[in-house]
Amino acid sequence: MTSYTVYMDQLPGLLELWAKEFQVHVPVEVEEGIYDFVPWRKDEEIAWEYDVAYNTLKRFFLPPRETLLRFDPAACTAEVVCEAPKQLLFGVHPYDVKAANQLDTLMRKDVPDNNFIARKKNTVIFALEPAAVARNAFWASVDAHKVDNGYDLYWTRISSASFHVEVATRRGKELLLAGGPLDLATDADKEATRRAHQRIVKESLRNGLKYPWRETADILSRAWDSTLWQHRARHCFSCGTCNLVCPTCYCFDMKEELDNSLTKGERYREWDGCMMDSFSRVAGDHNFRPHTRERFRHRYYRKGKYIFDKIGQLGCVGCGRCVSGCTSGIADPKAVFNELWEADRHDS
Amino acid sequence: MTPDTLFQYVPTPATLVKKEKLSDFVTLFTFQPDSGRALMHKPGQFIMLSMYGVGEAPFSVSSPPNASGSTFELAVRRIGNVTNAMHAMKVGQKVGIRGPYGTSFPVQDFVGKDTIFVAGGLGYIPLRSLLHYQLRHRDEFGRIIVMIGCRNPSERIFIDQIKELEARDDVEVYETVDCGDESWCGNVGLITSLLPHVEIDPDITHVAMVGPPVMYKFVIKQCQARGISRENIYVSLERHMKCGIGKCGHCQINGLNACVEGPVFKYHDIQTHPEAI
Ligand SMILES: Cc1cc2nc3c(=O)[nH]c(=O)nc-3n(C[C@H](O)[C@H](O)[C@H](O)COP(=O)(O)OP(=O)(O)OC[C@H]3O[C@@H](n4cnc5c(N)ncnc54)[C@H](O)[C@@H]3O)c2cc1C
Ligand code: SF4
Ligand code: SF4
Ligand code: FES
Repeated sequence: MTSYTVYMDQLPGLLELWAKEFQVHVPVEVEEGIYDFVPWRKDEEIAWEYDVAYNTLKRFFLPPRETLLRFDPAACTAEVVCEAPKQLLFGVHPYDVKAANQLDTLMRKDVPDNNFIARKKNTVIFALEPAAVARNAFWASVDAHKVDNGYDLYWTRISSASFHVEVATRRGKELLLAGGPLDLATDADKEATRRAHQRIVKESLRNGLKYPWRETADILSRAWDSTLWQHRARHCFSCGTCNLVCPTCYCFDMKEELDNSLTKGERYREWDGCMMDSFSRVAGDHNFRPHTRERFRHRYYRKGKYIFDKIGQLGCVGCGRCVSGCTSGIADPKAVFNELWEADRHDS
Repeated sequence: MTPDTLFQYVPTPATLVKKEKLSDFVTLFTFQPDSGRALMHKPGQFIMLSMYGVGEAPFSVSSPPNASGSTFELAVRRIGNVTNAMHAMKVGQKVGIRGPYGTSFPVQDFVGKDTIFVAGGLGYIPLRSLLHYQLRHRDEFGRIIVMIGCRNPSERIFIDQIKELEARDDVEVYETVDCGDESWCGNVGLITSLLPHVEIDPDITHVAMVGPPVMYKFVIKQCQARGISRENIYVSLERHMKCGIGKCGHCQINGLNACVEGPVFKYHDIQTHPEAI
C-alpha cells in the first residue's frame, strides 16, 4: 500500500481544496476536555490528540432525524427522499470506522436500506490513529484498534510537524494528491507509525475485557438468568442515553408530520432506543420487555450475542461513550461482560 | 430490481373497494392495488399500510393468495391512530401499501396432513388466509379442525363465515368464549378447553396457531402432550413493527427479527428463545 508523508503546513491548502467539494468535518475541543466533530472552517484548530468524539459519528449516515418520503395525503401519493450530501470526515478513530462498517453491513443485509447506503457512499473517511485513550474506552480489547476497510486514508501523527498517510482507496489518493505531489513515506516514517500504533494499543489494553472478546456470545448463552441484570438495572432510568450515544445502536422509530395547510407532509425516521419503555409495546398494551432488567439485558445481548450470531462481530467497539453517558453508572459493557465471565468461570 | 429494493420505504397506492363491519371494533377492508397487480402474498404474511398524515402500521393479509382478481382483505381492530383513521375511510379512498413482508405458513408442508387451526381473538385474521387456501384446494388436505376462542361473544368476528364452516361436513369447528352472556349458548371456557374434545392422529397433525401472547404457552403444552411434534407446530407472533424489513429493531425476539425471520415460526425454531413464547 502506498503511503506518503504530509507536513502540517501542507494541510490548510489541502483542507481548502477538499472543502470545495465536500462538507468537511473535523474534531475540535468544544469545551474543556470535550471533543466533537464540527464543520471545518479556516483557522479551526483541529484536536489531533482528541480521545473520543462526544457525539457518535453515526449521525453522518443515520441522522437523528431523516426524512424518508414526502407525501400528498389527498392524492395519496408519496415520493422517495434520499439525501446524501458529499461529506468528508477527517480524523475518525478506528473504532468509529469499525462501528460505521458494522452499520453498513447490517443496513445492507436482507433488504438494503438505500438511504443509509447512499449517505455512507458519499462520505469520505480519513481515519486517524488515536493519540489518547478516553478514560472509559476499551477498544483494543474488543479488537477495534484496527480496521482494514471503510476508510479512504489512514493518518498517523508521527511528529509535531508531520503525518504518515496510508492510502486505502483511489478516491483517497486523488484527494491527498489534489494539491500536487507529496513525498513518499520513508522507512523511518513507517517505523514511527508502527510504534505509534503499538504505543496506543498498549495503553488501550490497560482497561478492558479480561478474556478474548470472541467468547462473549458463548458466555451470554449461559447468562440469561444471571442476577446481574436485576442488580444493575435497578438503577436504570430508561433514559436511552446509552442507545443514543452508541455508534453501533441504530434502532429507529418512524413518524410523520403534516405542514400547516395539511396538504403536504413528510415521513421521517428518528433514533429510538431499546432501553425506553415504549420500545416493544404492542396493541392491547402488551409490553414484551416491561422491566428495566429485561431491556438492560436485551441491550447487552444485542451487543455481545445477537449481532455476533448474525455477522461474527461484537456489537460493541469499546468507545466508552455509554459508560460516560450513563448518569446511573450502570452502562458499562466491559464491566458487565467481565462480571459475567467471572461468574461463568466460577460455575464451570 | 423490484420497486421494493429500490425504494424500500415508499408505499404504492391502493383503493378501498369494500368495507364490512365484523364486530363493534373490527372491520373487514377490501383493497385493490392501483397497479392492478395482485399482492402475491403467502398465507401469514403482512403488509405495511399508510394512512398519510397519521402513520403506518402492519396488518396481516386475511384473504388467501390471489383470491379474487387482485384485491386483498385486511381485518382491522380499531385501537389507535392509524386504525381509527382506517375505520373512518369511505369506499373509493386510497391508502399506501408496501410489502408483503415476512415468513408464511409453509402450505406445501400441510398437504396431505390434518391441520388444527387455533385462533385466539384476532388470531383468526391471519389464519383465515391459510384456512381459505386449504378450503379452495380441499382435496389436497386431510382433516381441517378449527378452534376459535374469544373473550366474550361480542368480540366474535366472521360470524357468518364460521357458521358456513360449521355447516360443512369436511370442516370441524369448535368455538368457545371466556365469559358467556345471555345470547351465547355455546362453549364457555378458555381455548385450551377445546382440544381435549378432539380425537387426533398426532403423526399427521399440523397446528397453526395465532392469538394473544398469553395463549401460546398453554396451547403448545397441550399439543405436545397429545403427541404433536414441535416440528409441526407453527405460530405467528406479533411484535411492534416500524420498518418491516429488519432494520428498526422494534420487533426483536432475542436475536430474531419478527418482521423478516417471522412472523410465522416453527415452534421448534424458537423454543430456545425465551422472549418468543
Ligand atoms: C405482523 C403483524 C400483523 C398484524 N395484523 C393485524 C391485523 O390483521 N389486524 C389488526 O387489527 N391488527 C393487526 N396488527 C396490530 C396492528 O399493527 C396494531 O394494532 C396497529 O399498529 C395499531 O396502530 P394504531 O396507529 O392504530 O395504534 P397507535 O395509536 O399507534 O397505538 C395503539 C397501540 O398499538 C401499539 N402499536 C403501535 N404501533 C404498532 C406497531 N407498528 N406494531 C404493533 N403494535 C403497535 C402501540 O404501542 C399502542 O399500544 C398486526 C401487527 C403485526 C406486528
Ligand atoms: S444510560 Fe444508564 S440509566 Fe439511561 S437507559 Fe442506559 S443504562 Fe439506563
Ligand atoms: S456499547 Fe458503549 S462502549 Fe460499546 S460501542 Fe456502544 S457506546 Fe461504545
Ligand atoms: S419491524 Fe423493523 S426490524 Fe422488524
